[in-house]
Amino acid sequence: MHGEYTLILITSLACGLAAGFLLHRSEFCVTGMFRDFFLFRDVRMLRVLVFMIVVSMALVHGARAVGWIAYYPFPLLGSMSLTNILGGALFGIGMVLAGGCVVGTLYKMGSGSVLSAVAFFGLLFGSALYGEFHPAWAALTQQLSVFGPAKTLPQALGFAPSVLIIPTLAVGAWLVVRWARRGQLIMPAHADGYIQPWISAMALAVIGLVSYVVVGMPLGITTSYAKLGATVESWIAPDHVASLEYFQGKGLNYTPPFGEQAITGGAGPELDAIAAIQYPLVAGIVLGAFFSALLLRELKLHYRLPVRQYASVLVGGVLLGMAARMVPACNVWHLWGGVPILAGQSLLYVVGLVPGTWIGSHILSKYVVRGPS
Amino acid sequence: MTEHNGNIHKLDMCGQICPSCLLIALKEVNSRRELLSGGGALHIYTDSRQAINTIPGSVHNMGYQTNIVKSNGLYCIEIQKT
Repeated sequence: MHGEYTLILITSLACGLAAGFLLHRSEFCVTGMFRDFFLFRDVRMLRVLVFMIVVSMALVHGARAVGWIAYYPFPLLGSMSLTNILGGALFGIGMVLAGGCVVGTLYKMGSGSVLSAVAFFGLLFGSALYGEFHPAWAALTQQLSVFGPAKTLPQALGFAPSVLIIPTLAVGAWLVVRWARRGQLIMPAHADGYIQPWISAMALAVIGLVSYVVVGMPLGITTSYAKLGATVESWIAPDHVASLEYFQGKGLNYTPPFGEQAITGGAGPELDAIAAIQYPLVAGIVLGAFFSALLLRELKLHYRLPVRQYASVLVGGVLLGMAARMVPACNVWHLWGGVPILAGQSLLYVVGLVPGTWIGSHILSKYVVRGPS
Repeated sequence: MTEHNGNIHKLDMCGQICPSCLLIALKEVNSRRELLSGGGALHIYTDSRQAINTIPGSVHNMGYQTNIVKSNGLYCIEIQKT
């Protein structure tokens, strides 16, 4: 293993630990932000999400202006396709049924949620299942491709990034200042050790920036679910895993900002660059939330739960795992990393995510959550 | 799990999928109006930090007051008529 990896491993683990702690303390659940708009017309946490996107946008472009950003747009970000919308819709349904998105599941599992642990296994299964139909989905993605090789909205429209980023930031800043003045970014706090989500939003934006500057890209974890799923599958059916095109590809091939030689990685079971970047992040988020819950003495396992809730998180987890590969990627990568640079995939993903969450919320309130037995 | 003890109705929502606790709390507050207006109380046990933060505001808007007690790592949201 060469030196490039040490800095990446340490940075990813530290980012994960800090993020996991904050996500738990602030109950920073992106699924809940969208879902509760549909179920309760509650927009409070959506405002915090917009706040986080605006802060991330300002930080990333400030860092870019002083030369801290090695890759813009970042590696692993693909060009646009209408399949980003379809993937986003499926992701929205999956995350509501799973009780959390790809990252939400991790921090909830870390803080002792049995249902999220079940969703986690569904996610691994769904991510590995994607390997079975990847060639067909990749072909469809190619067919439904839009704006050619452009990866961001400014590229697609032929503008310099600043032409769109500056007005977007100005509108975002105006909104956020308005909300802040009216006290609309403050959430009621009754839970012990609660950290106001706007504070966590700022900290999470800084953590995302640290990843972008040091690792070369924003926080992302979804490929590692496929990798972990493929690892388990390769213990059972090694020849089959080796025969799947998806697990042979090395989608990541870049020289880290503080490295001297290129490193590569993909969804296959090998311990490569993807494993170095994403596994410590996954472990960090789980552990960060675990420590947070432990310090609050709130770590308790409850498993005597309605069967339909177990079924929901399992099905939701599988859908979410598949969708995370179909989009590709997740809320954190797109909302925290992509939207701030107006990445085309990220914007199309949101277009699908919103109606998907609406459908998921209906299924959840109608079929999953029932009155007390 | 539900339990009825005199004029206190207890409900255990620990570990359930989000946002079960808020959804069920709102339903229960509505369906147990008689109990609550007769001086009774609804005690909801939960470990959902989201529910702990959102339920007091929501039921307050419906004319009820809440008291939150944490013991043994769990929260109990006690709801009664203002």
